[in-house]
Amino acid sequence: MSLVLVSCAIFGLGLYGTLVRRDIIGILASIEVMLGGPQLLLVGLGASIDHSAGSALNAQGIALVIIVVAAAEAAVGLALVVAVARRTRSTRLDDLTEVKG
Amino acid sequence: MREIVTNGLFWLLALGALVGAGTVALTRDVMRMALGLGVMLLALAGFFAYYGFGFLALAEVFVYVGGVLILVLFAIMLVHRTTAGRPELESRSRIAPIVAAAGLSALLAFMLQPAAALLEPTGVAGGPAALSRLLLGPMLLAFEAAGALLLIALVVIVAVGGGEAE
Amino acid sequence: MSALVAAPWVVVVVPVILAVLIGALGKYAKAAVPWIAMVGPVAVLVLAVASLLAIPDGAGSTQPWTSALASHGSMTWFAVGETVIALGWAVDTLTALMLLVVGTVALMVMVFSLGYMAGDPGWVRYYALLSLFTGSMTLLVVGSSFATLFLGWELVGACSYLLIGFWYEKPSAVAAAVKAFLTTRLGDVGLLVGLGVLWKATGTLEYADVMARLGSLPASTIMTVALLLAVGAIGKSAQFPLHIWLPDAMEGPTPVSALIHAATMVAAGVFLIARAWPIFEAAPGARTLLLAVGVISALGGAVIAVAQNDIKKMLAYSTISQLGLMFAALGVGAWEIAFLHLVAHAAFKGLLFLAAGSVIHSSGTQDLREMGGLRREMPVTFVVWLVGVASLAGVPPLAGFFSKDAVLDAVWLSNPAVSLTLFAMTLLTGFYAVRSTKLAFFSTRRGDGHAHESTPAMLTTLVVLAVPAAALGLAGPWVTERLGGHPEALSLSVSAVAVALAVLGGVAAWALETGEGEATVQHRLGPVWTPASGGFGFDALVRGAVVTPVSAACRMLWAIVDRFVIDGAVEGSALVARWLGGAVSRLQNGDGQRYATVVALAVMLMLAATAFVGR
Repeated sequence: MSLVLVSCAIFGLGLYGTLVRRDIIGILASIEVMLGGPQLLLVGLGASIDHSAGSALNAQGIALVIIVVAAAEAAVGLALVVAVARRTRSTRLDDLTEVKG
Repeated sequence: MREIVTNGLFWLLALGALVGAGTVALTRDVMRMALGLGVMLLALAGFFAYYGFGFLALAEVFVYVGGVLILVLFAIMLVHRTTAGRPELESRSRIAPIVAAAGLSALLAFMLQPAAALLEPTGVAGGPAALSRLLLGPMLLAFEAAGALLLIALVVIVAVGGGEAE
Repeated sequence: MSALVAAPWVVVVVPVILAVLIGALGKYAKAAVPWIAMVGPVAVLVLAVASLLAIPDGAGSTQPWTSALASHGSMTWFAVGETVIALGWAVDTLTALMLLVVGTVALMVMVFSLGYMAGDPGWVRYYALLSLFTGSMTLLVVGSSFATLFLGWELVGACSYLLIGFWYEKPSAVAAAVKAFLTTRLGDVGLLVGLGVLWKATGTLEYADVMARLGSLPASTIMTVALLLAVGAIGKSAQFPLHIWLPDAMEGPTPVSALIHAATMVAAGVFLIARAWPIFEAAPGARTLLLAVGVISALGGAVIAVAQNDIKKMLAYSTISQLGLMFAALGVGAWEIAFLHLVAHAAFKGLLFLAAGSVIHSSGTQDLREMGGLRREMPVTFVVWLVGVASLAGVPPLAGFFSKDAVLDAVWLSNPAVSLTLFAMTLLTGFYAVRSTKLAFFSTRRGDGHAHESTPAMLTTLVVLAVPAAALGLAGPWVTERLGGHPEALSLSVSAVAVALAVLGGVAAWALETGEGEATVQHRLGPVWTPASGGFGFDALVRGAVVTPVSAACRMLWAIVDRFVIDGAVEGSALVARWLGGAVSRLQNGDGQRYATVVALAVMLMLAATAFVGR
């Protein structure tokens, strides 16, 4: 149960950060945190359920894929941030009001 | 004795993860935020190892900490020239986000209670060999897709950020 | 002819269709309009005569549910569950005789109006309405159920409203029309409730079925129904206390008064009771009511008629009085005699109204005080007027004598004390009859107009109506027999007293009234005159007791309910909508994180719902 609580807490903190932070990089980092919560729970469950080799490892595989996805997403997001920031010279969310260009 | 160590380790790691997450969410200083992120990711890696997924822990350290975190740092350095580290005070209300975040996570915790009954770390898990068998076996599709995703991400990054500055 | 008898609904529908046609196209053929309209009454007459001939001679009953039907049939109007409301017809002696009355008077009125209404801008509308009235009255009479009767009842009420207010530019006419409509409406409510009770109790409104099931109903139900039907009749026949509309109804054209307010519509009340007689036979309390109302109206009407200077108003109060006689006859159970008097009254009162119309048309005034000596200028009118007035007063051997004395006889036999009032009424009737005659036709002219005799068309109708006014008495026994009653010889003593009283009243009027200065009834009656001529303040009573409170209540409803509650709700809802819109629009401010917050909240709520409620 404590694991559930911890992973939910991590998720919650990440969610809060996503909703509140004003700078884009901060938001992206918060998203990474959010991803981390379920990842933890998944791994923990994977370690507990059904000790036969096959199913215990599914958790591993999924967690690996999560890592990959998170990495890809972070990379793309940061590239976008850099590109945009070079144009507007700010990373504050409020200033990113133009869609075009 | 073993119990105490196990529990203590668990809570140590939990503490690290939470502190890191909290820092990311709450701090105004960007560098501190990056540091917090790093701490959390390391704690997660520790958790993976704690649960016996050694390879996974390593993969996480390499990819997340070594890759993503560095990316974040680079981005910060590239971008924060003018308003470095000083996001201003917001005047808007934070009640709704607090309610949303706290509520949702509490709710999820409540709903996931049945899962808690299943948790019982055994410390026995598969190693790289089993993992590779998994990835090339039942999870082959996911594996390939993940690879493709990375490739696409690479292309996009080059397209978006590469080339001339203007 | 027999085809018409077999399908009397044609006689209902044709005048209505003609009315519509005249109304729509009449203005293109104004001269032809009256002749088209006359098709209606002529058809009615043909039907009436043919039906009377078709009824087997020996069969005297008037209840269509026994034997003597000329024709009957029906078609379904609508069905509610198992009860079916059918539109059917049943023509028996009662119906046929009533149709005879309606047809004759309607035809005479239409012919008379050729002269009377010539040049009136509402010519087309007038004849259209007369035709519509003919069809409606026929419907009322010819139907085989209370439903059709009620339908016709309401229609004639509507026609009456339209015709009283015919000259709608006159505010007094409009007010009179509204007053008539509302007052009769009051009675109609009673009728409707009564029919409702009847339907609930017996499950049907067809005369035959109702009368057949009457025996199984509790006495209280029958009494209730009878009382309520009586209320309807009281309203329609302008009896006390619902009589106030009839004098005002004189605002309409005089031929209309002759047709509707003397001969036919006001007689519908009597017809209703005659038609529903088995119900009244079983409800002595209702009969007592009828007797009381009739007697009060008879005497009261006569008293007020004495104190009238307007010739039409005098005739109106006289009508109330005579209808009171009919109601009194109904009250003592002699419904055939009541109907006999209805027919006689239709003849002589219709005659009197038309003659009055002739006088008004020629001399240009309605005020008796401005007339005088007309017998020289209008000899024919004078003669027929004499016939009518004598019949009214009950002078033998005219029709009025037979029917009126039959009523007096019947009431005297069953309730001598009450009949004394009727004798008093007879005296007063003779009085006002002679007074008006003297003022209008004798003595010297007081007004400044000059009079001429009316056109031949108008005169012809007067003469035609004078015949039954004079001679109907001879047919009295035949009518009574046909209606299933037993004609009895009139009691000589009663008749003698009645005639004597009438003569006494007449002589007194002749002596007291000269039309000049102080030697007038008006002056001699002194302080009694004003309240009498004003109807004893009953109008004011109604206004104070009913009209003013209701108007005040309506105004209060308007001020409070309409303005505050309803308008407030409408405008308030607009305000709420606007506020809500403003509040919600603040969510939509382009802030992505705010959207995300809302999404997160929504997800939370949805999950909570599934977790806690979905089970």
